[in-house]
Amino acid sequence: MFMKQTKVLLILTIVLSLLALASACGPKTPSGPDGGGTPAPNAKKFAPKGNEGSISGAVAFTGTPPAPKKIATDADPACGQKNPNLSTEDNLVTNGKLGNVLVYIKEGTLADGTKIGEWTFDTPSTTLTLDQNGCHYKPHVSAVMVSQKLTITNSDPTQHNIHFTPKNNPDWNQSQPNGAAPLSHSFARSEILVPVKCNQHPWMKAYVAVLKHPFAAVSAEDGSFSIKGVPPGAYTVVAWHEGGATGTEKTMQVTVPASGSATADFAFGDAATASGNPSLQMMPALEFPMLSRH
Amino acid sequence: MKIADRQSQFGNMNRGVHRFALLLAGATFFLIIAGALVTSHDAGLATSDWPLSNGQFFPKMVGNLFWEHGHRMVATTVGFLTVCFTVYLYWEQICNWLYRRGLIRSAPVYRGEPRRWVRRLGAIALGTVIAQGLLGGLTVKLNLPLVVSAAHATLAQLFFCTTVSLAVFTSRSWLKDQPTMEEQGSLAVRYVCIAAAATIFLQLIIGATLRHSATWDQPLPTDLLLTHIAGAIAVTVLLGTTAVLILRRHGGETFLTRPAKLALSLLAVQLFLGIAAYITRVASPNDPQPLNPMVGITVAHVACGALVFATTIILTLRTFKVLRANAASFEFATAERKLKLEL
Repeated sequence: MFMKQTKVLLILTIVLSLLALASACGPKTPSGPDGGGTPAPNAKKFAPKGNEGSISGAVAFTGTPPAPKKIATDADPACGQKNPNLSTEDNLVTNGKLGNVLVYIKEGTLADGTKIGEWTFDTPSTTLTLDQNGCHYKPHVSAVMVSQKLTITNSDPTQHNIHFTPKNNPDWNQSQPNGAAPLSHSFARSEILVPVKCNQHPWMKAYVAVLKHPFAAVSAEDGSFSIKGVPPGAYTVVAWHEGGATGTEKTMQVTVPASGSATADFAFGDAATASGNPSLQMMPALEFPMLSRH
Repeated sequence: MKIADRQSQFGNMNRGVHRFALLLAGATFFLIIAGALVTSHDAGLATSDWPLSNGQFFPKMVGNLFWEHGHRMVATTVGFLTVCFTVYLYWEQICNWLYRRGLIRSAPVYRGEPRRWVRRLGAIALGTVIAQGLLGGLTVKLNLPLVVSAAHATLAQLFFCTTVSLAVFTSRSWLKDQPTMEEQGSLAVRYVCIAAAATIFLQLIIGATLRHSATWDQPLPTDLLLTHIAGAIAVTVLLGTTAVLILRRHGGETFLTRPAKLALSLLAVQLFLGIAAYITRVASPNDPQPLNPMVGITVAHVACGALVFATTIILTLRTFKVLRANAASFEFATAERKLKLEL
């Protein structure tokens, strides 16, 4: 009698756990401001006409920026020895200007009336290098095009572990001991933005934007940025700054004249509210990850 | 004193087997803590290969590799202990098999575990720990998919429950003749215990899924968090009812009241730890993570959850050992069966 009841209990619990775990299976939903990575079916190849312009500007930080916090590197003495002042780099503020802000064209219409999404652009032959140096990533924020080669190097005297955690692209995780050869990677689909982390050193993080076009830049320490080679047209330009779970976005409409320049100045921080779209949610919209993830 | 005499000192109790079972359960509990530390440090992918770490048996234990490789070492030890324990249980059968084939000269003196169902439970434990090891490797190779990671965490609790059950079944208190009692009242304590254990198990699955759904740099999924809170309420109601029923109906039976009181105390600690774990997680979102208070309290929450489950399992097993359906229900069931047969 007892054994029979135990068996029934065991079977019941196993069945329930399997049902609960099985419910976690589901299709991944592609997301991102500029959609998936597959180009439109009738996409045309873009060829520069010589009348391209540029979008430039500066990103400001209004209010008092949070002070960088020192990172405890006791877990790996090699990090502390190489970079004794390692601190958080969420807010790179210099004289009221904000660095490490991604600025990119989200959508827009060219002067000939076509949408930018109707065009395909050549993948740059240049390689973006993401270096692990002093137990943090350099650059902290960067942008590449779909299929553009990304090289990951380890300049530290310790082992690292590079882990891209995208939503639209496959997860990618590789260990890279000190002295190991550079690793290469590229993304097949566009995605704003792919978080990068090191599971070896949990404070290390970076962001890589993957775009279908080359019109993106990252603000320098003085907050300045410049996007060159932009065909004349009217565009929605987005500035993205990290913070919280998904960062904060600001949008702006700009018109690029033929062979001219458009200005787009952004502001983040406590006092910056214009056109802001904070996407950090401590209590996000109702969702069941067991029903939607993976 | 001869081995056989020692075995018969408390009925069929084999102290060696019981102590080994306790050692295995203790090591498994430590393994659960080691696994929770891996999750709290987001160290599961500190190395991308498995079973080696960065291609080595013993890599330099720096950064998060300390937690991940440390977890693998503890897991290997538990696996080895489980193999030894299973061999210990089947010692007589193994020796007889070897003796029949002429591989050893004499029949075994040591009897091993005489009860076949206990030996089989040991074999189930061995199968579970092997499956758990493979699941651990799979979750690393697949970059920690939620379903595999949650299954790994859940199977860990089931394995712990199995080792605790083995310790119970080989204990002196289990083997000693315990007076049986009739269930009192319409609500059978045994079935309330089962309901409490099953609810705790489901709560452990929800907790494991919640933990693996978001690392500290991401917000917790609200609905899953609310489900976990609802689960905590359900567990409190069921386990509280179980303890109250036992204390009221069988207050003089320490065989039942001890685990009931312990489970209730652990539940109170667990509820406190759950609230503290949430507060420490959301308290300093802009500080470099993971912070030690968050890690410590969250790991304690996982460990205490395992203890609540184990204690409830012990309580459930003990209620089934000493409680029987009361005469009225037995007569009613017999009459019902007769009526069905007649119809």
